[in-house]
Amino acid sequence: MAAGPTVKQILRTYPGKIRLVIKNYPYKYRDFARIAAEASLAARDQGKYWEMHDILITRSPKLDRASLISYAGELGLDVKTFTESIDNSRHAKEIDRDLQLAESIDLYNTPTFYINGRQVVGERPFDYFKKIIDEQLNKTAR
Amino acid sequence: MRKAAWLIFFVLLCLPVTAAAGHLEPARDVPIPVQNPQTAAKVELGKKLFFDRRLSGDGTMNCGTCHDPGQGFSDGLDISLNYPTTRNWRNSPTLINVAFQKYLFHDGRAATLEEQALFPMMSAFEMNQNLDFMEEEIRTVPEYVAEFTEVFGDGDVTRERIAMAIAAFERTLISLDAPLDRFLAGDSSALSPQALKGYEIFTGKGKCSECHFGVNLADDRFHVLHVQENPEHLKDPRIAATRRFVAKVYHFEEYRTLAEDPGRYLITKDRKDWKAFKTPTLREIAGTAPYMHNGIYATLAEVIEFFNAGGGMGNPVLKPLRLTSLEKEELRVFLEQGLTGAPITFVHPKIP
Repeated sequence: MAAGPTVKQILRTYPGKIRLVIKNYPYKYRDFARIAAEASLAARDQGKYWEMHDILITRSPKLDRASLISYAGELGLDVKTFTESIDNSRHAKEIDRDLQLAESIDLYNTPTFYINGRQVVGERPFDYFKKIIDEQLNKTAR
Repeated sequence: MRKAAWLIFFVLLCLPVTAAAGHLEPARDVPIPVQNPQTAAKVELGKKLFFDRRLSGDGTMNCGTCHDPGQGFSDGLDISLNYPTTRNWRNSPTLINVAFQKYLFHDGRAATLEEQALFPMMSAFEMNQNLDFMEEEIRTVPEYVAEFTEVFGDGDVTRERIAMAIAAFERTLISLDAPLDRFLAGDSSALSPQALKGYEIFTGKGKCSECHFGVNLADDRFHVLHVQENPEHLKDPRIAATRRFVAKVYHFEEYRTLAEDPGRYLITKDRKDWKAFKTPTLREIAGTAPYMHNGIYATLAEVIEFFNAGGGMGNPVLKPLRLTSLEKEELRVFLEQGLTGAPITFVHPKIP
């Protein structure tokens, strides 16, 4: 289970009204969390962020380097470029920046959402988000 | 005649000890155990510890993760948040008015807040901390040692003292000045006309006050209502691991195949407690959704439907209430408006 399907449902429900910003927060005590974050960003470089995101969730905890490379193949990515990217930690700076941001706001739990600054910790059903989003949209409309 | 007298005597003996059933009481002073007197410094220390992530094994969780002041001191989820990579199996109960409870946890496994506080810290699927290690972690923080000295007379940091301070903080979380309190104190206009009708249903046809009475609107007892299991939870292997783990810890023989929540039975091993859960407080109920031990109902309307239908299949306690749509709505309004007190002012502490 993960928040991905709910987030996608939100995006479908509010086309053009919501901007989604995703930050990485690889859990420090999981061996493959960091390389999995690299993999999702390497896939994003080739236009397949969500596809990789979904595969990471469904195949977890099988997220070692060889598995990630095979997932890149499954998704039809340029595997050579993908492999170079994760081997060289090409997105290390971006991930570190996200980690620092999380720590600076005393954030520790994943997933955590911010909806116009309102914090929501943990996975929630769609209706939970809908209520907050509708409130925010109404506020903006006024 | 003599036989009749005996019969009456026998009937009296059979009456439940909760003779106050049905009698609602306004907010009053919190009972404080003599072994753990409240002091302002202790409450402040407890508040810091409550929000300190050192209390969890990986430093990601504190008590406030699942008992969030912004979510009615619960977490707004069907089942409570969890230690990373695991899942919890029951709903996070509100801490509001927890000072009045005789038993803690849905299955009542703890009898005092001091005893209760250490369970989630040790629990593999909650804070997953080692208590010996935690004591040493807290002891390395000079500000804490100074506060322990002020509060307890010396700087020794023990799990018992940590629990005492947290319990003292929790005893300050009280629902006050709800319309029901003002109504019971004699203000006949405290409840709106609709809420007043709801109150009459609550104490009458709805039979709610048979179990939800006293100051805390609870009976400190356990009941088998056969709330349905959440099918999604039954499919999740992480929840299965949690359920079996708890059953194993409580020496339930068939823990490996346990496929449902046995409730209080795990604690008492008494057959009548199979799937029995504690009656929760109804204070501040509007702000502590979702409801029941597994959070299966998202709204109060759903909960009222459940009771109106006579509870879950085959339960030995409840009978259909035959409330009309209007009566159900009035009851909901009473629960939402009548039991919501003044907002609890809360300032997050600075963690040393």
